[in-house]
Amino acid sequence: MTKRLMPMLAALVLAILIAGPYVGLPAHLQSLLYVIFFWVSLATSWNLLSGYSGYFSFGHGAFFGLGMYGMATFATKLNLSFFPSVLLSGLVAAALALVIGALVFRLKSIRGESFALITLAVTFVLSTLIVNTPIDGGPGVYLMGVSTPAIGPTAASSFYYLGLGMAALCVFSAYVLFHSKMGLGLLAIHDDEDVAEVNGVPTFALKMAAFALSSFLAGMMGSIHALYVSYVTVSETFNINVPLTVVLMSILGGARHWAGPTLGAILITLLLNAFTDGSSALVGRVVIGLILTLSVLLMPNGIWGSLSARLRGKKVQIKGDPLSEQSHADPRGRDLLSERTAELAIKGVTPVGTKVVLEVKGLTKQFFAIKALGGIDLKLYEGEILGLLGPNGSGKSTFINVVTGHFSASSGEIQLLGRDVSHLSAHEIRKSGISRTYQIPRPFNGLTVLQNVVLSAQYGGSGASESQATEQALQWLEFTGLSDKAADLPDALNLHQRKFLELARALAARPQVLLLDEVLSGLTPSEIDLAVQTIRLIRQRGTSIVFVEHVMSAVMALSDRLVVLDQGVVIASGAPKEVMNDPHVVRAYLGDKVEGE
Amino acid sequence: MLGLKNIQVNYGAAPALWDISIEIGQNELISVIGPNGAGKTTLINTIMGLNKAKQGQIFWHSEDITTLPSHLLCEKGIALVPESRRLFTGMTVLENLELGAMHAKAKAKRAQTLEWVCELFPVVKEKLAQSSGTLSGGQQQMVAIGRALMALPELLLLDEPSLGLAPTIVTEMFRVIQKIHREGKSVLLVEQNVSRALSISSRTYVLENGRVVAQGDSSELSKQDDIKKAYLGL
Amino acid sequence: MPSANLLFQALASGLFMGALYGLIGLGLGLGWGILKQINLSHFAWVFLSAYLTYELKTRFGIDPLLCLLILLPVFALLGVLLQAVLAKFSITPFNSLMATFGLTVSVEAFIQLVWSADFRRMNSHYDELKFRLFGVIVTYSEALTMLLSLVCCFAVWWVLYKTDIGKALRASAEDPDIARAFGINASKLSLALSGACAALACCAGVCVALTFTLAPSQIFAWIGVIFAVVMMGKLASAWAPLVAGLVIGVSESMTMALIAPTWAPLVSFTLLILILLMRRSHD
Repeated sequence: MTKRLMPMLAALVLAILIAGPYVGLPAHLQSLLYVIFFWVSLATSWNLLSGYSGYFSFGHGAFFGLGMYGMATFATKLNLSFFPSVLLSGLVAAALALVIGALVFRLKSIRGESFALITLAVTFVLSTLIVNTPIDGGPGVYLMGVSTPAIGPTAASSFYYLGLGMAALCVFSAYVLFHSKMGLGLLAIHDDEDVAEVNGVPTFALKMAAFALSSFLAGMMGSIHALYVSYVTVSETFNINVPLTVVLMSILGGARHWAGPTLGAILITLLLNAFTDGSSALVGRVVIGLILTLSVLLMPNGIWGSLSARLRGKKVQIKGDPLSEQSHADPRGRDLLSERTAELAIKGVTPVGTKVVLEVKGLTKQFFAIKALGGIDLKLYEGEILGLLGPNGSGKSTFINVVTGHFSASSGEIQLLGRDVSHLSAHEIRKSGISRTYQIPRPFNGLTVLQNVVLSAQYGGSGASESQATEQALQWLEFTGLSDKAADLPDALNLHQRKFLELARALAARPQVLLLDEVLSGLTPSEIDLAVQTIRLIRQRGTSIVFVEHVMSAVMALSDRLVVLDQGVVIASGAPKEVMNDPHVVRAYLGDKVEGE
Repeated sequence: MLGLKNIQVNYGAAPALWDISIEIGQNELISVIGPNGAGKTTLINTIMGLNKAKQGQIFWHSEDITTLPSHLLCEKGIALVPESRRLFTGMTVLENLELGAMHAKAKAKRAQTLEWVCELFPVVKEKLAQSSGTLSGGQQQMVAIGRALMALPELLLLDEPSLGLAPTIVTEMFRVIQKIHREGKSVLLVEQNVSRALSISSRTYVLENGRVVAQGDSSELSKQDDIKKAYLGL
Repeated sequence: MPSANLLFQALASGLFMGALYGLIGLGLGLGWGILKQINLSHFAWVFLSAYLTYELKTRFGIDPLLCLLILLPVFALLGVLLQAVLAKFSITPFNSLMATFGLTVSVEAFIQLVWSADFRRMNSHYDELKFRLFGVIVTYSEALTMLLSLVCCFAVWWVLYKTDIGKALRASAEDPDIARAFGINASKLSLALSGACAALACCAGVCVALTFTLAPSQIFAWIGVIFAVVMMGKLASAWAPLVAGLVIGVSESMTMALIAPTWAPLVSFTLLILILLMRRSHD
């Protein structure tokens, strides 16, 4: 409902703004509106990468500046006409973004403040280069002689419409991106980049694309602005005000929403403009500074974030006191499964196939001084449920992390259906057909339960369209008993529900192989029963499963075979009863019996 | 001395610990065992005030300390040896030990206590000036216990001290724990190594999925099958 | 090619500039590394202190070093108040950057309100007194800056490594939960540290007043280079900001002397980019 309202409102506002100069909008208001359009463009374009993905750039000034100087150079020195200059300026800015991204986006160490600082440093390097080369050379560049296309009824209205056009383009891009598959991927990167990668999101490619688009738009706005100010200098263009103001506007308005930066830009511009003369302007700035500080402290997710949290708060059911054992399990889920699973529970296992789905040969993993995996050989057959056991620190989680591509193997092979996947990136491994869940659930906290699963369906390699993915996601939510939580955020779920969300998300990619990492820990006995039924059903549907577990009753009930790890190597494998009676395994779990103490 | 009554601790909206009642008396060595995910570390962290109990009470010498801020607990006489040691790796062994004795009473006796700790752990004495992050697992464990002892506690909370250590080191470490116990301290030992835990403690609590499923005399429990079932599923 | 004497002079001025960079970066780095706050208002405090020193000297004739003694407790208190407010909200380092940005804007506007945007230069005898050191002319102001910078770095080092409070601070920066388990009252310590950082800013401000012409816009002009200083080394370090500051100061002044003044920023920022790219992940 609100989804339709916003764009309709925006379209209406756009229509009014277009009509403005024709119906006698006074010149000083047109100027003010130009300034607003300017900041809306810059803030919104900044937000495309930084707000959505969380990679806060302090270098927006560099791209804006490249746009300014792009126009200055193309129009005065190369005598290109207006529109080609604008386009080229945008492209040059985008090119710089791609260069920076190529250097920086693959490095795990460049996130957070490092990225912000590198982009800031680039701005200063760029400004130094420009001021010392013929591009500027020192005195600045005059653009008086450059002709701007005449749009609208008056001379001043050209910039009004150019600014409006840019702002509309930026906001439209933000809107479209926000609702697209790519936007979903960016928001997931924001919440947990590693998990996004493991869920099939090509994080490098998305970041590059968003960065390039963001800079392209900033560059174009800069090129237009160069003509507006008609005299371009390095000190005015490349100071720290632009990057900081842009960040502040987006954060104040709400960086996680397509309309947030617009809101912030309008508010701050109006505030700054409210005090224009002499000392009251300064008093105004003192007040504004304090308002900004308080806003950031009180509304860490921006105005938009706080508003949507309020709206959401009314929808979410009130969490009562903790619940007795029985009510943890979603009653609807139980009903749904009870018919199908009743038979299964009695019948037991499906015959295991002879085809090897996953084979691991000699897998080792070394972390500096610690050998976490010392040479693992393992086979997983089609339709099998393989239990992977071992005491704490034996390497089970490392094994899962290496197989799914979060860590690269130090040596050894991983083959999925005969194909070597050991050197693929995590998202490619996901697309090939290996999914995992996390022991401590790691949902994307800013996305709804449904979106969490839709993301996985869209990026999981089946090439589903959005509507198909949504349909599939809804089916998986039904399978895991989370249908009525679809519109909630993950923090409204209890542990059991979060684990099932992990499961739904992993399954949405339709994996051949599912790796479950302690999915039962922390669940009550009845929840465990439900989980066990569900795992059996998953196997029924054709997925082979490796599961790491400590709840021994479940392990014995579910596993076709067991593999036990201790200190990074396999110490036993085979049928469950035999393995658990193996003296090596008993010692690994219960510890040594000590004589004479 | 230390009593937990009907403690409930939540993880999000779901209980991680449910209806826990545990007691430790003067000069007792109690162990808490249970499979992974049973809530053993949560229990220790709750006693230490790092997790807040949703319901229930914690008593220390009949004083209700349930809502007491963590930094005041050390002074009261409870010291923690955390899971995975958690030494201040950016600091030397000596600094780590000194940090154990930050509150007034312990600070006054710091030099003496340091000597005692060095006697207990000769290897620590050698490595005083070394950065604690460069020590081996076993050595780090010794320093972690030493750090807790510097606080001159009445009760020592040990969270899985044998985790990741080789058997010979584990033997040595349990010998030291018993020695500390003999010097008059109470010990609450949380352990994965079931047989060792049962052999050195007088009483044991068995935790499973956040609940106490068995408790009693350690030697009695070691004969029962419940434990084998909980751990090995047999 | 400039004469050897000119080069030495450039080297010296680079060293003194670097010492000032280091002094400003010292407080910023401490707050960032230990309190996990990126405190942009640090720059506001530096310049507020500079302007106040200017005012006290110009209007009341108070010697700048005496100004320092007067202003230190004032700024320490300011720092404590700021932390008392910030601690009520749980904020990410990035949000602390934005929140303190707002504060900086306010302080800058306040400064402009009181002292106008005109350039202000404090005249003190420290500027006129000069001496020769290894053939280079050094003013007392510059020497004082270097001295104060060294003293502050040493003081920070001594507190962090030789006192219990310092060890407690380092411990709670690394592992706040376990630090608390051993009786360390993190919130009290944070207040004290914030006060200390503001006091360091005050000290830097006095040096700025001694050696620079003041203008409100200066507050933002220094942000880039000081961030470079802080990020080049380890955070919450006593000596790293000074070393980084000296490296940047000298590379800037040598670039100015050998090539042209306008090329100076290129060196420091390129260095910063290279260092950031080569660093391994901390977390």
